[in-house]
Amino acid sequence: MFRLLEESGFNRVRAVVVPNFRFRKPATQNSAEAYGVKAVLFTATRPATGSA
Amino acid sequence: MTDAVDAQESLEAVLKDEIIRMYQDVADRPEAEYHFFHGREAAELFGYDPAWLDRAPTGAVASFAGVGNPHLRSAIQPGETVIDLGSGAGLDAIIASWSAGPTGNVIGVDLNPTMCLKAQAHAEASGTRLQCHQGSMEDIPLPDASADVVISNGVINLSFRKRKVVEELFRVLKPGGRISITDIVSAKQLSQSIVNDPKLWAS
Repeated sequence: MFRLLEESGFNRVRAVVVPNFRFRKPATQNSAEAYGVKAVLFTATRPATGSA
Repeated sequence: MTDAVDAQESLEAVLKDEIIRMYQDVADRPEAEYHFFHGREAAELFGYDPAWLDRAPTGAVASFAGVGNPHLRSAIQPGETVIDLGSGAGLDAIIASWSAGPTGNVIGVDLNPTMCLKAQAHAEASGTRLQCHQGSMEDIPLPDASADVVISNGVINLSFRKRKVVEELFRVLKPGGRISITDIVSAKQLSQSIVNDPKLWAS
């Protein structure tokens, strides 16, 4: 996602992990951890000039 | 090649139906238990101000199915135009409308027209205005350079065509506009069995 944002022309791309995100069901959470699943807050800006 | 494209399109169509079904179910039966946290419990987990949750319509709070808190970094200013991509039952759009104020404009976009009606009803009940357009995130039904801010919460991960979604975000933002989006990412490639299972993908 981070790379997609940069490649699409966004700048000031930032990503912060959502600290409390987890799945309710342990089995789902275990699978998610095995795949490195996280919730992330992305921020980015469309440059004020130019185009993609 | 055509078979592969056909298979992908078929899977996307099934997925679209499953997404509509799952999130409609959360809105219709918020008392049910899902494998993800939802409702006020989830919103508090992600740091939503309890005062917002007290002020928002109960139905909008109960149906909340986000994965984080895009308002932490959205910095919405009075008078700004905000798009909430995947607006669901409307909680994030309503909170955004409080920041944008009466001179601002909040526009929801949701795949499910029923959810758009629900979000608009919730907005009206909270004394705010919300336009909501039925449409897909890969083809946002709004003009170029129409928004100052795009927020979204746990939606983009549901798309098979994330590059197209990101290009659409760029297109609908005004130059200098910004996004504040919470979403699910995976460090490893998901197995084909997950990718091919609409129920798992939609969740």
